[in-house]
Amino acid sequence: MTLKPDAPKRQLGGELVIPALAIAFTLYFFSTIWNSPWTAQVSAFLVGGILLFVCAIFLVRVALMLRSGQGTLGFGNLFTREDIRSGRIGLFATTIGYCVLIDRLGFTLTTFLFLSISMYVLSKGRNVGFITLISAIMALAGWAVFIWAFDTRFPRGWFETTMKAVLANG
Amino acid sequence: MDNTTALLFEVFLETASFWYIIVPTIFLGLIVGGIPGFSAANTIIILMPLTLAMSLQGGLVFMVALYCSARMGAGIPAILVNIPGTAGAAATPLDGYPMAKQGKGQQALSISFVASCIGGLLTTIIALAAMPILARVGFYMHSTEMIVVMLFGISLIASIAAQDMVKGLIAGFLGLMIGSIGTDVVYATPRGTFGFLELYDGVPLIPALVGLFAVSEAFIIIEKKLIVTHEGDVRKPSWHATFEGVNIALKRWWHIVWTSIIGLVIGVIPGAGASIASFVAYQQSRSFSKTPELYGTGHPEGLIAPEAANNGVTSGTLVPLLVLGIPGGATAAIMLVVLQYHGVSFGPSLFENQPKVGYGMFMAMAISYVLMIFTILPLSRYMSHVTTIPTIYLAPMIISFTLVGAFVPREYMFDLYLALGFGVLGYIARRTGYHVAAILIGVILGPLLEKYFLWSLKKSDGDIMVLFSSNLGNILWLCLLLSLVLPAIFALQRKRKSQGIPIQ
Repeated sequence: MTLKPDAPKRQLGGELVIPALAIAFTLYFFSTIWNSPWTAQVSAFLVGGILLFVCAIFLVRVALMLRSGQGTLGFGNLFTREDIRSGRIGLFATTIGYCVLIDRLGFTLTTFLFLSISMYVLSKGRNVGFITLISAIMALAGWAVFIWAFDTRFPRGWFETTMKAVLANG
Repeated sequence: MDNTTALLFEVFLETASFWYIIVPTIFLGLIVGGIPGFSAANTIIILMPLTLAMSLQGGLVFMVALYCSARMGAGIPAILVNIPGTAGAAATPLDGYPMAKQGKGQQALSISFVASCIGGLLTTIIALAAMPILARVGFYMHSTEMIVVMLFGISLIASIAAQDMVKGLIAGFLGLMIGSIGTDVVYATPRGTFGFLELYDGVPLIPALVGLFAVSEAFIIIEKKLIVTHEGDVRKPSWHATFEGVNIALKRWWHIVWTSIIGLVIGVIPGAGASIASFVAYQQSRSFSKTPELYGTGHPEGLIAPEAANNGVTSGTLVPLLVLGIPGGATAAIMLVVLQYHGVSFGPSLFENQPKVGYGMFMAMAISYVLMIFTILPLSRYMSHVTTIPTIYLAPMIISFTLVGAFVPREYMFDLYLALGFGVLGYIARRTGYHVAAILIGVILGPLLEKYFLWSLKKSDGDIMVLFSSNLGNILWLCLLLSLVLPAIFALQRKRKSQGIPIQ
């Protein structure tokens, strides 16, 4: 396979992340079953062995591509300046915040905070009023449908507890 | 008119009189089916007090209508935003989402609705007529035969991997390894759990589905203003696009018929389920297609196959429940509990002692599918608007409502973080050219394959030749081999024809 002289080189560093994770996980998995009965080993060794073999083929292919100058060990397909400009990193940070806070604040309040902050980040601070309104509507609609109407097992916080008491006492 | 025909007609009239339950249940099912974590089974559990308070027939109609509509609802977000509502719809976005990105979301929804309704209706009628024969399928399918059925599903990984075989296989086998996490089925030895007790039961499917599809997709779509590829593709919704989709589906009626029958047969096997059926149907559809290269690019047949098959499963799962008293899936198991509360005893005697209940379940299913096509089809023009919502609003909504859906089935905060972890894995996979569907197929089918593999080996004292020890199993092996080899031969024939070289 030959590339045109002006064609961008393949960012093979990024493409190696999944095989690297696969190899690391498979070796860890093998370490957990090394002294186990054969019933725990047979399928995992079979599947893991094939996975290691396929990863080895991919590594050889990458080495050949690097040698022929068709690719680099860059991560340009995985991380770019666009990630900061588009707000992707900000969205990831708010998503982690959502997972951490939902257990403490409950579904409704955390959803409102998450939606409004992440939308502010993605819209670069525009339409603040509209974003606040739509975040409040979505969070309250979620509470009304899933918690109030169907009593779904969503994480509860002080908002849900307060609303339950208010509705129970008319 | 003999007694059975008269009875069926009577049951039909009685079931149709419950239209006021069926219609709102259809809309409820569409919502719960479309949100990951809110399966029909969970909803029936949540609404069990209501179901128990209803009359026997009312409760039965409610559960069956919810079951059918939830199955169909799972395909809607799969098509519009690349997020399957349940694992049964995991093969739907392979061709449904590319259609939505091309501005053909409305046509894709119509194709999906028609394929689901016709597939569901047809298999209901077949199941009703051929119940005694179908019920025996469950008896003949042992662990060795099930291994071949699993391999039919897993062979889809090879199809997905067609563009870059090595990367496809890495994704698929990584999924199979992840699916092996948990305790082994014989001695309960923990494997690959990183010390988390929450993983001893294996990797829960909903967080994997939410992370790989929903979370990763949300991080990808923010690169664009809208989901549709070109803003020029945003068309005004019209009846024309709806009927265009209906027409496309109806022209492929034979495709709907045979892929839904795949779903019916797999549905009859207890424990198999819609995810296996949709993967097998997609794979078989692609294998025997004249245009396999179009699959994955927004090909209608690639959308029809999984949708017809996963709706074929709905009627299939009722067969072992009614005839043998063995539920074919989670929803069927819950139906069993509710109907037993009403004094219904399942098994061979059901159709002698309470024939109205047995026939009533299939009749409720048939009527639900007929009503569904008329209630849902007009909505496709409004649903397709989702693809025109700016991604700065859509992405956070997808993350918040699907992540919390990952929490619902087990109520572990751990599952939220697990979904986020799968989201990161899915994002890396998408950005670097690995297919998330291949990973998910592995996660779904990996533990099942291992379970049946171990059962077979235990039965034969470790002799691997047990896999080729039954006649039915050998026939299935042959079918599997043919389904892998024949497409290659067909492709070679097409290539030779296009090059004008005579075939020797």
